[in-house]
Amino acid sequence: MTSITMDSFAQTREISEQAIRRLVDDFYTKVRTDPALGPVFDNAIGGDWDEHLATMRDFWSSVMLTSGRYKGNPVAVHRQVAGIELKLFERWLALFAETCRELFDDELAEAFNSRAQRIAESLKLAVFYRPDRPWPSSAA
Amino acid sequence: MTYVVTDNCIKCKYMDCVEVCPVDCFYEGDNMLVIHPDECIDCGVCEPECPAEAIKPDTQGGLEKWLKLNAEYASKWPNISVKRDPPADAKEFDGVPDKFEKYFSPESGEGDG
Repeated sequence: MTSITMDSFAQTREISEQAIRRLVDDFYTKVRTDPALGPVFDNAIGGDWDEHLATMRDFWSSVMLTSGRYKGNPVAVHRQVAGIELKLFERWLALFAETCRELFDDELAEAFNSRAQRIAESLKLAVFYRPDRPWPSSAA
Repeated sequence: MTYVVTDNCIKCKYMDCVEVCPVDCFYEGDNMLVIHPDECIDCGVCEPECPAEAIKPDTQGGLEKWLKLNAEYASKWPNISVKRDPPADAKEFDGVPDKFEKYFSPESGEGDG
């Protein structure tokens, strides 16, 4: 019976606030317990996961539903994160893709993933790119 | 990676983009907007919102001139995140060729003020 209830959400095809909420909740549950990402996030958000999840729901709502709910400067925020590393972006994207696969059909998962990959690339460049060093860099 | 505002924004300046941008990276000139390339996160939300189809991803070829112009004027013009009414004659200028040569103004716009 439980599986029927769970499956009623799986394979979701349409972007909605409800879908975004579920994605953010499930994804950050993984992030929080991830040995690499968990401590970096915990430190960066001062342990306030409720506030961070609310911010992330607003962010993805703005990106996927053009709701304009999030207004911020993620480039500046990421430049100040202690312990941020290039390989953490790959880990973040892998967990995000895994969560999308669990919740959404292929097309919707791809819609989220392609946005996430582009945004991650921009943030990586903003945090790590230096004009005097080759890019992509493995040294950062 | 960034999006850039191109020729057809000039004298149209619809400003639909500034409301949806999650990172407030639009800057306002007298008769066009530009995107700050270091603040844009490449989310792509603004592109389909532009009635003049003036916003393009920098991965598209031939946009070097516009990328340079966006970067230069984003540091000179004021930030804009709240839409106002577009120019009354915006529609008449939509699609007019070579607007940069004919009409570009380096003067600042109002911004959010």
